[in-house]
Amino acid sequence: MTILYIALTVAVYLGARVISMRFPSPFTTPVFTSTAVVIAILLAFNVSYEAYTPAKDMMTFLLGPATVALAVPLYHNREVLLERLVPAVVGLVVGTMSTIASAVGLSAAFGLSETIQATAAVKAVTTPVAIEAALIIGGDPSLAAAFVMTAGIFGAVFGPFLLNVFHIKDPFSRGLGIGTVSHGIGTSQAVLEGPVQGAVSSAAMGVASIITSLVLPWFFPLL
Amino acid sequence: MKKLILFFIQIACLTALYQLSVWTVSVLHIPIPASVFGMLTLLLLLLTGVVPDRFIGSGAAFLNKHLAFFFIPIAVGLMAYGDLIRSDGLALFLMIAGSSIIGLLITAGLSMILSAKRRSKQ
Repeated sequence: MTILYIALTVAVYLGARVISMRFPSPFTTPVFTSTAVVIAILLAFNVSYEAYTPAKDMMTFLLGPATVALAVPLYHNREVLLERLVPAVVGLVVGTMSTIASAVGLSAAFGLSETIQATAAVKAVTTPVAIEAALIIGGDPSLAAAFVMTAGIFGAVFGPFLLNVFHIKDPFSRGLGIGTVSHGIGTSQAVLEGPVQGAVSSAAMGVASIITSLVLPWFFPLL
Repeated sequence: MKKLILFFIQIACLTALYQLSVWTVSVLHIPIPASVFGMLTLLLLLLTGVVPDRFIGSGAAFLNKHLAFFFIPIAVGLMAYGDLIRSDGLALFLMIAGSSIIGLLITAGLSMILSAKRRSKQ
């Protein structure tokens, strides 16, 4: 069955890529459409996530190496990054703190539990950091992974669209924003938008995760 | 054929570097994710010229292009949260969407404005 689940996921992904190229729109972003279609098929055939997990483990074997490989676009764009280091770091620090504060504030405003508020604080960063940070401030680690996925897909789907709406056309700033709020999933989309966007998004994702783990233990209790 | 073999060697090297990062991060208790640590290590190797760009170029480009694929099986994990999505799904979605929009626009906007200021100074 595992081979079947892998074949299904690959086929859905390849199909989603063709559709996104033929009909470019936020709603055809492959990570969003593929996830939705795979979930729908698994639910339709009464397959649990536990049954799908061995297939998941095999398919995600290359996620770590693929993230490491982001060093290559980073290297190619090193001059742009160095040249704009100060605006980038200021944007990143302020942006990271405002996404944490607004996630906690909105959760409280919607009357969500304190566990959810603490978990919401970590949603913008890559999963391993989010899980550890959630544990430190009293959040739920498995829920953190779910929030991280949702934030990532949201950023990949609507990030480029929102930046267009607000006339943020500068490729550097686009990559920075996407990587900061939607980590690797947003970066996977930024890489496709252009080399500068991909490189800056990769750097932003890494730095945002470091800032979050440093800042959260003292910043969260203040909120 | 030679290209294909080279491609697989490149992927294997990236995998080895990642596994080495996992080990280093856990042994030395470095508080950043192994994948980010590996990315910084590879960047350092490229900058110092220890690893020339062309050694890993095509393998890295392939993985970069299909990075989104590796997140799909993980995101499918959202299906385990059916009950929570039915009870609080809308509030959770609005919270995640709202704070992502705020963070995105502040980060990108600030970087754009500050860069423009620096440029006009020079």
